[in-house]
Amino acid sequence: MKKLFAMLLAMAMVLSLAACAPKEPEPSQSGGGTTSTTETDPNKIDDNPTSADGKYEIAMITDLGDLKDKSFNEGTWNGVKLYAHNNGKTYKYYQPANRSEATDDDRYNAYKAAIEGGAKVIVAPGFLQESAMRRAAIENPDVNFIFIDGGVMQEKPTEYGADGVPLPNDSPVLQNVAGILFQEEQCGYLAGYAVVKEGFTKLGFTGGGGGTNPACCRYGYGFVQGANAAAAEMGINVEMRYSWEYGSNYIASPELQSMMQGWYTAGTEVVFACGGPMFQSVAAAASANDGFVIGVDVDQSGDSDTVITSAMKGLAQSVDFALDKYFGNGWSSIGGESTSLGAKEDAVGLPTASWSMKNFSVEEYETMLAGIKDGSVSVDADYSNLEQGYSNLTLTVE
Amino acid sequence: MTFLIRQTLIYAVPLMIVALAGVFAERSGIIDLALEGIMIFGAFIGVLFVNMVQEAGVFDQAKADGDWLALQGFAMLAMLAAAAAGAVFSLLLSFASVNLKADQTIGGTALNLMAPALVLFFIRIIADQNVLNMARGDAPSWFMLRKTDLGFSRTDDLGFLGETFIHQVYLVTYICILLFVVLSVVLYRTKFGLRLRSCGENPQAADSLGINVYQMRYAGTTISGALAGMGGFVYALTTANCSSNGDVAGFGFLALAVMIFGNWKPLNIAGAALLFGLFKCIAASYTSIDINGDGICMLKEIGISAHVYRMLPYIITLVVLAFTSKKSRAPKAEGIPYDKGQR
Repeated sequence: MKKLFAMLLAMAMVLSLAACAPKEPEPSQSGGGTTSTTETDPNKIDDNPTSADGKYEIAMITDLGDLKDKSFNEGTWNGVKLYAHNNGKTYKYYQPANRSEATDDDRYNAYKAAIEGGAKVIVAPGFLQESAMRRAAIENPDVNFIFIDGGVMQEKPTEYGADGVPLPNDSPVLQNVAGILFQEEQCGYLAGYAVVKEGFTKLGFTGGGGGTNPACCRYGYGFVQGANAAAAEMGINVEMRYSWEYGSNYIASPELQSMMQGWYTAGTEVVFACGGPMFQSVAAAASANDGFVIGVDVDQSGDSDTVITSAMKGLAQSVDFALDKYFGNGWSSIGGESTSLGAKEDAVGLPTASWSMKNFSVEEYETMLAGIKDGSVSVDADYSNLEQGYSNLTLTVE
Repeated sequence: MTFLIRQTLIYAVPLMIVALAGVFAERSGIIDLALEGIMIFGAFIGVLFVNMVQEAGVFDQAKADGDWLALQGFAMLAMLAAAAAGAVFSLLLSFASVNLKADQTIGGTALNLMAPALVLFFIRIIADQNVLNMARGDAPSWFMLRKTDLGFSRTDDLGFLGETFIHQVYLVTYICILLFVVLSVVLYRTKFGLRLRSCGENPQAADSLGINVYQMRYAGTTISGALAGMGGFVYALTTANCSSNGDVAGFGFLALAVMIFGNWKPLNIAGAALLFGLFKCIAASYTSIDINGDGICMLKEIGISAHVYRMLPYIITLVVLAFTSKKSRAPKAEGIPYDKGQR
């Protein structure tokens, strides 16, 4: 009996060691409120600051997946942190319960917690938050909401007729919600154009949300158009495999990893991983097969050597833009509106600082970007046209 | 074909080793429902070990030099850490079921419920999110064996066997297969194995011949825990890019099914695991499987819905179980706490 107790005790010790060992002492930062230095590296700003009165005026509700997904959530959060830190505001993030299976109720509870925690403005990335946000926004007219990847919000959701045509919706527009949309098709286009110009001919696209996420759909459709345009200029034909499989929850999974192994083994050279943490599975498969990956939302070149470029949208900038409007009494210009940000606003593009392509130069990219800005290169945003005949591209939707 | 075999092995090996873990426990007379929980815990400790050693920079030089032996050694160490964690974790089950004579099914279920919660709790403390990843890089670039590691150039053709078994594989896979063979021999060809099995069939008789049943059952579950922990880590390393999120996608329960399916016998278990691994692989990547190497992916061309392929592993399990369950024979004394007084 004694031996057993000794053993159990030893086990308890091992467990507690495991718990404390990796917790490095973080440089003490009061995070928000008191500091006045301007910080540009979001990783140096505390994720969990404590405010003096326990109230946090800027709140963020995360989308599916983790806060540190190295993608969508993290990009938005970095914007919140930078703005709050540099302007002396208090901030806090809330994760809806049930992780990747979060329901509208889980999200609503997160909103409630944020508002009870003193939030005056809530940043919410992800179009999935719409119905929870509508409820919170109607109940709390004094709280303002910044809806990333979302449009104008009305009191009643738009309903669709049997033929898929939206029925007229005349319910009042919620003035405390500001929608921010990106023209993802433009950076998808640039990424597709770039990799084909770089010399790749077998491309892949794997997206999150099972084809229901408009942002992912726009990325993908733009990617296809860009690849086709470059192939047409070069007079070659390229192949593209296009899939929404194993992406519905935007998570990395063994199944996705083996599907990607299959793609790379079958000859695919570069895959656009368009779904936050799905990137992990794609990068692992690419690394095993000496293939390449295109990152999404933020510059992901730091996460894996396989990243050749990233289709970025300015999440942090857009948060900064909207928060600045809110705190600078300019809310009326964005509240109740939907702000669309694209190449013109410098909100989408490829990362030039970590450029790794050899045959396609930064100058050529700048020319292309300028073309999109002035409208001489047009990118179609209506992704329902995805499955059409392309002049120089064979699209296989799986 | 090469791809199919390689990928099947990747799925089958964790299943196989964890099913063998189940055999060791059940052959000694303890129902081991906790396989899933132990796998989760082992995977977590293994990934944590990798993460911390990477942070400490111990193997950075080896990685930079491309010293694959050192890196494989690193993977072995992580596997050992996972095995140790699994063994310790399984002591909870043996203590409850051997010393306290508690219901083993409930004990195992309790561990299954506890492991994900505990692991997520630690991961939240450590990483401030729900997934613990490697500190840097990805699993293939650190731990995968390629032909370039063995002195061949990238364009060398090693023939079918070479391409399949020494290119793009993980050494841990082979270590597991070796362990599987060795332990199967131990179970059937040694004194210790015979004694262990006798405790699962008729512990009273074993006791009357001077075998310490409690000790044997502890040995059985501890070996089982070590194997399951190891299997958990191998799963995380080879299929989940060396990350831990308090979940092994039900592989522990699948291993349990594989064990029953394999009738508590190692050879049958290996077969069952391979069968399951094969269909799991087909389910996930049927669009890219090219069996005869003519560039046509037959399964894709047939045009059957993806859902059918995804159901396949489970349908096959049901079908095979329906045919084999008549012959199924569990160890006789499993699940019954040993009571000396009942002799």
